[in-house]
Amino acid sequence: MLKLPLTATITILAVLLVYFAAGALGAQRKLAPLAPLSDTRANYRVALDFPPERFHQLFLQDKGRMVGVHGNVVDMMDVEPAALRDIARQYWVSSIERWSGR
Amino acid sequence: MSTLPATAALTAPRRPRRGGAARAAKGALGVLLLLAAWQLSVPLVGLGPYFYPAPSDVIAAFGELIRKGILPSYLGDSLWRYLVGLSAGATLGIAGGVLIGINRRASLMLSPLLTFMFAIVEVAWIPIFVIWFGYGVKTIVLTLIYVVFFPVLYNTLLGVRTAPQILVNAVRSLGASRLQVLRLVILPSALPNIITGLRVGAGFAFRGLVFAEIVAAKSGIGYLIFEGTESHQTARTIVGMIVMGLLWLAIDQLYLRPIERATIQRWGLTTEAGERA
Repeated sequence: MLKLPLTATITILAVLLVYFAAGALGAQRKLAPLAPLSDTRANYRVALDFPPERFHQLFLQDKGRMVGVHGNVVDMMDVEPAALRDIARQYWVSSIERWSGR
Repeated sequence: MSTLPATAALTAPRRPRRGGAARAAKGALGVLLLLAAWQLSVPLVGLGPYFYPAPSDVIAAFGELIRKGILPSYLGDSLWRYLVGLSAGATLGIAGGVLIGINRRASLMLSPLLTFMFAIVEVAWIPIFVIWFGYGVKTIVLTLIYVVFFPVLYNTLLGVRTAPQILVNAVRSLGASRLQVLRLVILPSALPNIITGLRVGAGFAFRGLVFAEIVAAKSGIGYLIFEGTESHQTARTIVGMIVMGLLWLAIDQLYLRPIERATIQRWGLTTEAGERA
């Protein structure tokens, strides 16, 4: 009788596992050109496949200082390495590159 | 004493339901007919997508929300708040129901207060919670706890008070302590009522979640519904509404109904068909 809830839970957990694994693999791919990652805060350009909406801006503001938006690209300063990994894990982030800040 | 006598007849297997696929097909046909009528009515109504979006607009908005990562994130936020609020509210409701049910002094002290509080809907509390805890998770979770607490408490109370006295006396006469009476008789016999309370509370919590997120959040499906209208993206609002409906359907069909059915069959008074007597 409780087979259905159990199957549903296992399916949900499997989907979540795939989702997070895909995010981690995507992050590895996006961060590979930046290796070795800085141990301290740094400035980055985060590219999306579309102009960022309020949701994306709020997310990025939480990870560092968002100083500008040009089309699909967001300029960010003072991003911690952990926050950069969080950003890279998002599938809606297409690429990340280092930025001089000017 | 692991089962109640009333459950003896419950072990008989339920007759398998026939025509499940046919029923599902009829349900799907109903949805398709509704979608077709909606799509066909769009040119007849002649209003823009802001006023009257077509199903195709809604499907496009759904795809866009997924592609931009908005829907998965909002869905995760809403489900997390829902689970936390539901768990905490249910725990408090069960504890309160058992306490009031078995302790006369607690019943006399708390019953008038609870009846008074029950009349105050959660909508009235949200502004107060916002003042006390600000916008965000705390306010939403507290609202959900408040919403879930009462149906769970009253159903638990009903279950505890209707526990078969003959079994309570029998266990007592065998030298059981109060805790053993609670564990061996009262809680098992109250379980079907507790599960019913949980199901009712879970439904109320779902509605409460939408309202709390509209008022006190910057993420979540409730916020998506609100933000869609604010930003003149009505199709997004409809996506939010559909996701809410589908989510509740999934929770009810995949979790609440099977758990309720299993509990009633295991512990409750049921007929041969497995329905509650």
